[in-house]
Amino acid sequence: MLIDAMGIILADNSRVRLGELNDARAIAATPFGGRYRIIDFMLSSMVNSGIKHVGVLAETKYSSLMDHLGTGSHWDLDRLQQGLRIIPPYMQSEFFRSPNPQDITGLHDFLKHSVHTYVVVAESNIISNMSFTDFVADHKNSGVDVTVMYNHDSNRLGSPNISLSFEDNKVVDLMIDPTDPESDCSSLGIVVLERTLLMEMLDQAIARGETLFNTEFILEKYQELTIHGYENNDLTFRINSLATYFSASMRLLEKGVLQKIFKGENKIFTKVKNESPARYLKDNQVSNSLISDGCDIIGSVENSVVFRGVNVGRYSKISNCIILQDTVIMEGAELSNVIIDKDTVIRSGVRLQGSPDYPVVIGKGVIV
Amino acid sequence: MPKQEMIAMILAGGQGSRLGVLTEYIAKPAVPYGSKYRIIDFALSNCTNSGIETVGVLTQYSPLELNSYIGNGYSWDLDRNLGGLSILPPYQSMAGSDWYKGTANAIYQNIQFIDNHDPDYVLILSGDHIYKQDYRKMLRAHIKAEADATIAVREVPWDEASRFGIMNADEEGRITEFEEKPAEPKSNLASMGVYIFSWKTLRRHLIEDELDLDSSNDFGQNIIPAMLNEGLKLLAYTFSGYWKDVGTIFSLWESNMDLLDRPQEINLQDALWRIYCRNILQPSHYIGIDASIIDSVLTDGVEIYGTAKHSVISSGAVIEEGAEVIDSILMPGAVVKKGSKIDKCIVGIDTVIGENVQAGHSVQDGREDFISEKFCSDGITVFGSGLTIADNVKIAGNSMLFPNEEGQTSDVVLESTVLGII
Repeated sequence: MLIDAMGIILADNSRVRLGELNDARAIAATPFGGRYRIIDFMLSSMVNSGIKHVGVLAETKYSSLMDHLGTGSHWDLDRLQQGLRIIPPYMQSEFFRSPNPQDITGLHDFLKHSVHTYVVVAESNIISNMSFTDFVADHKNSGVDVTVMYNHDSNRLGSPNISLSFEDNKVVDLMIDPTDPESDCSSLGIVVLERTLLMEMLDQAIARGETLFNTEFILEKYQELTIHGYENNDLTFRINSLATYFSASMRLLEKGVLQKIFKGENKIFTKVKNESPARYLKDNQVSNSLISDGCDIIGSVENSVVFRGVNVGRYSKISNCIILQDTVIMEGAELSNVIIDKDTVIRSGVRLQGSPDYPVVIGKGVIV
Repeated sequence: MPKQEMIAMILAGGQGSRLGVLTEYIAKPAVPYGSKYRIIDFALSNCTNSGIETVGVLTQYSPLELNSYIGNGYSWDLDRNLGGLSILPPYQSMAGSDWYKGTANAIYQNIQFIDNHDPDYVLILSGDHIYKQDYRKMLRAHIKAEADATIAVREVPWDEASRFGIMNADEEGRITEFEEKPAEPKSNLASMGVYIFSWKTLRRHLIEDELDLDSSNDFGQNIIPAMLNEGLKLLAYTFSGYWKDVGTIFSLWESNMDLLDRPQEINLQDALWRIYCRNILQPSHYIGIDASIIDSVLTDGVEIYGTAKHSVISSGAVIEEGAEVIDSILMPGAVVKKGSKIDKCIVGIDTVIGENVQAGHSVQDGREDFISEKFCSDGITVFGSGLTIADNVKIAGNSMLFPNEEGQTSDVVLESTVLGII
């Protein structure tokens, strides 16, 4: 597949907070769906669209992100030319003592050394298996400055919601988290523009001492630039709060969703862990759940997403939960509407109960 | 190329003819095992975990699936700048061309490959055994004993000893005699097909063996006896962990069931000795609302809406509503449709079992036209890969299902597609 575009993925978004899940990791590196991290979906979508040069702009907390991405080999992005590049916040030594959390000169540098005409800039908090082929072609044919991808599910999902108003498909207004939106078109945080145009915009921003870069940075210029919309009809989950993280995870259990996101022609790639197959021992009871390799299941699990290497002990009951990697649920523990981070131990007899809108989150590595 | 202390050569060219339809299109080392593995993963992972970074894989029979599975060795950490994994098929040269005539001849034809790495020792392995072994320990024993060859052996029950190649050894483990399947065994130390040779000695013997036109060019039958005749020091190295030759339908089935019945013995969960395999790009497995899973192992991509009992289910396999899979192995992509019940069956890659099919051990009055005493025993029924099985058929135990010799399908096997390469 030939596409004349490179990709930029923004690993973090200061407006998106996922509680304790984000204490030590970027949004992009947050585990999702049993064996993935959130960034896998955007990265795989780009790779499946033929994009072979991808920069991941890291703000802070990028240790787990770097561990996950490695050389990019799991996404076939370990290449002699181009491939995957993590763009850390500090590129130039003069900025090293800067109090700013981010330095966009690194991004400018990265763009400068690319050869592609177009650049697709994407926030990482979208769970979808999409293609950018038509998106980039549509942008090229229309000849406009910028094209932004949107859909209509904004009303159902929380903050941040970037609401777009169009006239003849041209963006004429942009509102962030409007209480009474004029339009039901909501940005998916994915834009395409010419690489040289983005570099000019960055040049000006650097000259003014600006340090923040996200898709709003581009969209806010709707008065000086011609920005068109591109409607996306794929199955898409936005992760912009703990509640939407929870509901998106649960929607994976709905009929047909696994097929649409994971089992089509285009696969979602992720880091390989080489866990052994999951074992279901006598007396387990499992229903409507996603379970991963390396798990030992003896207790009961329903309506839940269980990541790799989790032990679910005898007589324990888990319902409507998200249990992250290598957690141990000991005998007789009962959990409902709980998100448990990695390497956590829930001791015998412990009972935890949250609600779907306010799931209880247990932080990484604790013993409850 | 810098000098290597020891390199490994994996013999992966055999057909594995006793597996019948399961090796119709693929070499035995590429046959799926244990829910997410292929048989060769064990030999390759043992090499990596033993610190061996140069591995030659000798292929011959139906190598396409095996070649694309192994790729450049990346999945086993064997994509190295120096050494790494090489696939070694037979080749043409100025002297002509020849298939690999036997295990020793296969190594003989690759003397140049081994010389390029200039190793002190060469490890010869089979690509079709299930075990976890640290070859470094064996090498240490070889060096300490100043042996010319060291052969890994395991103690087998005395009443089974006559089925194996038996090493008779003195108290210090020095092999005095080798007997292939002796009627009256003098020892119960069976060869595992794992050899360490001092390269100079082996090199000379391979050349001498090749000159002997009566030789069948086999390690067990020719090279080892010749070395013993010459009075060389051959050491028996006893290995006591789990080891299984999965060369027959029964042993393949039994070894899979061992993962359920004796999981500690092979212990696939050992984080210090991972068995690596090629990643399959599937999501976590999904268990439906009315599913029941008892005493089974499952991996990514599986979907279960019915019942799995005491079974090994591979990636992407599906058990539909009301279907029951008991004491069985579903290979990758196998589908068991609504209302079917299979018992003691091995279902090949991407094979679809129709609705309300009954197959296997416990079936009464099942069709007997597929019974295959040659391959099947103990009531085990085998479905080849890429088959579509008709609805409502009853198939007796000990059957092996495949299209007939002209590739024609029947009222039971409705369709048959040649397996796609991974």
